[in-house]
Amino acid sequence: MAFYKALFNLVFAFFLVVSLEGIARKIVARVQRRIGPPWYQNFIDIFKALSKHPFSNGWIFDFGVIMALGGSIATAMLMPLGSLKWTPFPNTDNFFVIAYLFTVGALGMAMGMVGSGNPWASIGISRALTQMLGYELPFLVTMSSVIYNYKTASIHQLINLQSDKWNLFSMPLAGIVAFISLIGMMGKKPFDIAIAPAEIASGPMVELSGKYLGLLQIMHDFSLFSEISLFVNIFLGGGSLGWFLVKFVIVWVLAVLISSVLPRFRIEQMLKFYWGVPLGLAFLNALLVLLGWTF
Amino acid sequence: MSAFLITLLLSSIVVYFLSKASWKVGALLNIAISLFALFYVFTVDVGTTEKIGNFFGQNLVLQWTNVSFYFSLVSLLVIISVMIFSLKWLESQKYKASFNMFLLMVTASSIGVFAAGDLLTLYIFWEIAVLSSLLIVPMGKKGSRKASVQYAVMSAVGTYMFIYGAFLLMQRYGTLRLPEISRHLISDQSMGFKLAIFLLLVAAGVAKSGIFPLHTWLRTAHGKAPDAFSAVLSGQLTKLGSYIFTVSVAVVPSLKIFSDLTVYSGVPLPNYILIILGNISIIIGTLMAIKQDDMKMLIALSSVANGGYILIGLSTVDPLGFEGGMFHILNHALASAVIFMAFAAVVYRTKTTKISEMGGLIHKMPVTFLVYLFSIISLAGIPPMSGFISKWMIYQALVRKGMFITAFVAFFGSIGSFLYVFRPLAGVFLGQLPKKYKDVKEAPFIMLTPMVLLVLLSLFLGVWPFPVLQRIEDIRMDLGITPSFKIVEIDKWLIKGFAGSWDPVVVFSLFMTGFIVAYILYSLFPRPKKVDLLAPHEKEGTPVNIYTGGEFIYNPDLYHFNTRFYAGFERMYEKHPSWEKVLNMFAKFFHDIGEWIHSWFFKPSPSVYTLWMIVTILLVFWVRW
Repeated sequence: MAFYKALFNLVFAFFLVVSLEGIARKIVARVQRRIGPPWYQNFIDIFKALSKHPFSNGWIFDFGVIMALGGSIATAMLMPLGSLKWTPFPNTDNFFVIAYLFTVGALGMAMGMVGSGNPWASIGISRALTQMLGYELPFLVTMSSVIYNYKTASIHQLINLQSDKWNLFSMPLAGIVAFISLIGMMGKKPFDIAIAPAEIASGPMVELSGKYLGLLQIMHDFSLFSEISLFVNIFLGGGSLGWFLVKFVIVWVLAVLISSVLPRFRIEQMLKFYWGVPLGLAFLNALLVLLGWTF
Repeated sequence: MSAFLITLLLSSIVVYFLSKASWKVGALLNIAISLFALFYVFTVDVGTTEKIGNFFGQNLVLQWTNVSFYFSLVSLLVIISVMIFSLKWLESQKYKASFNMFLLMVTASSIGVFAAGDLLTLYIFWEIAVLSSLLIVPMGKKGSRKASVQYAVMSAVGTYMFIYGAFLLMQRYGTLRLPEISRHLISDQSMGFKLAIFLLLVAAGVAKSGIFPLHTWLRTAHGKAPDAFSAVLSGQLTKLGSYIFTVSVAVVPSLKIFSDLTVYSGVPLPNYILIILGNISIIIGTLMAIKQDDMKMLIALSSVANGGYILIGLSTVDPLGFEGGMFHILNHALASAVIFMAFAAVVYRTKTTKISEMGGLIHKMPVTFLVYLFSIISLAGIPPMSGFISKWMIYQALVRKGMFITAFVAFFGSIGSFLYVFRPLAGVFLGQLPKKYKDVKEAPFIMLTPMVLLVLLSLFLGVWPFPVLQRIEDIRMDLGITPSFKIVEIDKWLIKGFAGSWDPVVVFSLFMTGFIVAYILYSLFPRPKKVDLLAPHEKEGTPVNIYTGGEFIYNPDLYHFNTRFYAGFERMYEKHPSWEKVLNMFAKFFHDIGEWIHSWFFKPSPSVYTLWMIVTILLVFWVRW
């Protein structure tokens, strides 16, 4: 049973996020007074990329791509979808396990892309890792306070515990911090420092061609799925699969709207921002939770 | 037990003379003796106590506990691996016989430290361990002599404080036995005395495992020591410090001793001193490691950070935190030993430790690369390697106790560790290969064997940590850290913390599924065309095969990017205060005083010598009468 649920997660994640990415392109286009491509454009992009003959820079390049994809698939398979019924592995959906599983994909991608030998890729990776140091800290501190409050790190239990009231309302500061961190995790503007096409020629992706590009796009989609699901599960928990879908789409659209009007941070600005306001709020929230002042 | 230890110590001398004849025989004998020690460690019954001597009415006692067993096992694992590794590696060294002898001495004396039942025995074996390791360090590269002096001084600061504490205890209670000390300390009324004893005893551990403020020796000593020995220094000798922490936090139970001081969320206040020191160590170790260009110094500084984790875990005296700290001792030993051995293999082939001088070695040394990769996954605490489990347990303890600032620091160190472990990965192994390493070969088979075995062990413990966790729970029960039932539910393959559980087997199978699915997807689509990553100079007249904005570049320079990898981040703390500078200031101060005294009293002229001789003789006479 768990196996089918995990498989469902993958299929669901793929179709959901790829269509949402297409919709995001549409939204951004409308914000910029353009028409934009059709919503299924990203499916076309991925399958076209996959079908082309690529160039490889050696075995570590291949292995890095496989590791990145494998890590993100593993994370996506573990992710609960809004209720216990849609939790593939109820014994293993521990927050810290999921948070650290993410990094396998990141490490694989970093390794493969630096293995391509392109300095742009290395710069992009160094920025991506630095950015991780930025957004993960406020996020983890916030999550610690949530876990401290509920005495559980199991995601499906956290979902159940907020069936009458969302954590977003009982711990608003935590919700805000997690959302800001989420935008950084997703690599949306203003935190698209690692990709920055105009500065470093798409950074990590600079040497990718054909199926490598396609596979890494799929990896990116799975990661987006896990990241947004994590936020939805922890701060907007409860409800059925349908409600989960609605919340997912709302969070996604909100993130896209915010990112479509903002310019890019520089790397130090990003770090100073994350270690300033969100981290401060995260600690404030932790203090409130310690004192028992949750709404 | 005493016969065993004495045999081990004496056989080191035999090994020396045998190694003079043939260093290989000496090294083989080393391995044989250590394997015997490993076998012996398993046969000793827990609870065996043995009197080995008498010192001013004090019995020197050896006492075998679960803690001794665990620490000895970790030590022997690391040391035997390094011994196998050096069967080949040693041929690049100058002082083979002394290396063999001192390595065996380190083994013997470390087991002695772990088996000691009183503070004096502990001190004696401790000093043998320090001395023998101290004498290996200067066999390394240029600057290693200075490093060993620094090591000696830092270590001495710790051990002198330790022995002072021990003598204070002896003066007050007339005993040095660990169980009696804890009994006396629990009933003692004077808080100041107890606090002083606690801090004095801990000082030795602080110095040895490289905790702030005595962390500065790690960078130079690990960095400059003979390459394979750095693995012992970081993987095994810093664990002596962790042992002292275990003794002073749990064997002599700080929770009971300081129970009348404020206990904030289950942690006695003096332990917070250790936790704060651990925090500072994590931050300093991480930030400094990110900046290093020397790969050995980089991992040495990461040992500072990991020492901080161990210290924090143990000091929480929380069941989960304590067990996490204990398990982290093993995980860090495995990971750092493999990393240093991998570096030793790289240095064996390339003769350099500078990250900026290397690159692309993956094409020449793929196995070394893979063991390094798996070890950094463990060191950075990513599942499915065992390093994750211990870090997870420590996080659980910190979150449960609501220690958010310490949790923040722990997260910082953990994510920062991705940054620094990635530097050697990218700089040494990935990217373009410099021309001078064109003929480099993979490390010899005998060097690869121990590394591969340790990595497999670490992976195995990541999937199946239950045997070790069971041992650690036994230790926790022995030391009486409540609750006295198993808190990590080992049955049903689950690791249960206070907040949620997880199943390492499921996580591992998910991994494998992820990889298999990814591989299937990968192989479904068209085959790639292989493009050479060779530096352009190897194929005259062909352009570089990497994207350069549409320009064709025939430049013979490499495009490998490995200096100042995190320039954007490093800029943020370029002008940070430096503890090393403070210590150097002190060193300079004492040096100057020495010079001044020297210039006054040791003027190279006969008359001054005569003067001082007369003064000395008069002094002697005056004292005599």
